[in-house]
Amino acid sequence: MMVKWIKQLDQIMRGDATRISVLREGRIEMPVGGLSIVVILLGVIYGLCMGSFAVIRTASTPEGVTNHAIQQMLASAVKLPLLFFLTLLVTFPSLYVFNALVGSRLSMVSVARLIVAMLGVTLAVLASLGPIVVFFALSTSSYPFMKLLNVAMATISGVLGLAFLVRTMHRLVMVQDQIDFPPPAPDNTDGDQTQEELDDSEAKSALDKIDWTTSRKATAVFKIWVVAFALVGTQMSWVLRPFIGSPDMPFAWLRVRESHFFHDVIKSLAELFGG
Amino acid sequence: MYGVLLRADDVLRARPRLVRGGHHARRLMLLSILMILFAGFYGAVMGSYGGARWLQMLYSGIKAPLLFTATFMLSLPSFFVINTLFGLRHDFAESLRALVATQAGLTIVLASFAPFTVLWYVSFGSYDAAKMFNLFMFGVASISAQRLLHQFYQPLLERDPRHRTLLRIWLVIFAFVGIQMGWVLRPFVGNPVAPTQFFRDEAWGNAYVEVGQTLWRLASGS
Repeated sequence: MMVKWIKQLDQIMRGDATRISVLREGRIEMPVGGLSIVVILLGVIYGLCMGSFAVIRTASTPEGVTNHAIQQMLASAVKLPLLFFLTLLVTFPSLYVFNALVGSRLSMVSVARLIVAMLGVTLAVLASLGPIVVFFALSTSSYPFMKLLNVAMATISGVLGLAFLVRTMHRLVMVQDQIDFPPPAPDNTDGDQTQEELDDSEAKSALDKIDWTTSRKATAVFKIWVVAFALVGTQMSWVLRPFIGSPDMPFAWLRVRESHFFHDVIKSLAELFGG
Repeated sequence: MYGVLLRADDVLRARPRLVRGGHHARRLMLLSILMILFAGFYGAVMGSYGGARWLQMLYSGIKAPLLFTATFMLSLPSFFVINTLFGLRHDFAESLRALVATQAGLTIVLASFAPFTVLWYVSFGSYDAAKMFNLFMFGVASISAQRLLHQFYQPLLERDPRHRTLLRIWLVIFAFVGIQMGWVLRPFVGNPVAPTQFFRDEAWGNAYVEVGQTLWRLASGS
């Protein structure tokens, strides 16, 4: 069961699930249920890696590992998948609306599938960076450094995930262009490329270079939406903090509302170098 | 012994059979063993600062291969996932062998510097100078290994130019983890005045934080 779901994620990552030939129908056939579970598990894994800093840090103190530290780690494991799903919840309606506005034929279910696929890519990258985070948690006592490291890891995986989304969207637009405006029938022998050959020459991965000249305003809309998703995600992570757990503060599921994400990043940078 | 040197010669000449063709597991094993042997050798020499201190030599001889192996293991998962995303999964086995072969090559180059290190230890007494000299040797060996890496990667690059991007990503991840790993596994040289230890007593610390703070202190002039 699990193996099957992981294989599905693997197909998405390889780009097999989002080939133009597959997308021609204007639908995305991806079983979402199992994939969501894999996404959640990957989130839990990275959450544990993030929260490990609290446990490792207290392990070297005279009191030993406190309950608070373990609570922090478990809280992070719960909150990390939550972060992504809440971000999705906030941004999904507008994505669907824009998707319909620009004349895409994607149904709501297909959009949802696409987003789960995007989360799969993001979290797979994030979880694969987990061992590095644990290693730094083991060897670092600097809290600002850990924050910035995690921000960097999340940025890397977020950028890759969103790049995947934009490219898939772009392909969908291309497919529709082909359907709406079929290319004129080839009139000489040079142009006898069959459809199969066109499919073969297409993108070989999930993250291919885009020939933007053929894209329309649809992809421009999605690029704006991607920025919105990123901003919502960062703010959501700020609302759901702490993920790492400040050494100077007691454990809490959520912190009081104050400040904002970017302010804290700059503050962390200043602390890291100045202090 | 002679066999080991022959295999090392294969690595230095970037023989294609090391990274292509069958016997995948066996070749990987061979390359890893070469890496451990040569890194261990240089480590032991590195620990000989201030006379033959057997314990420090043993520790450093263990820690040097550990540095390379642990860094490699930590960097591998993300490299694998990113390879998949870029559509290069079918080449991953070959990429892996190319990377391990490069590691082996790096340690062989490093081992060939061991006589320089001994001469340096004999000629200059300062502990700081000894550390800096080793850092320099690691730097030179890493740069030399770049050539090997490109040779091993050449067929992959020809097949798909995207491997070039992946190679850059690998170097960034590996350097980022490797620098901190080197910091954590200190002391490699070992101050002869202090008692010999496997790890430093004081907190492991973070190389980037320390360097950042030093730079900040220099810049702010305090």
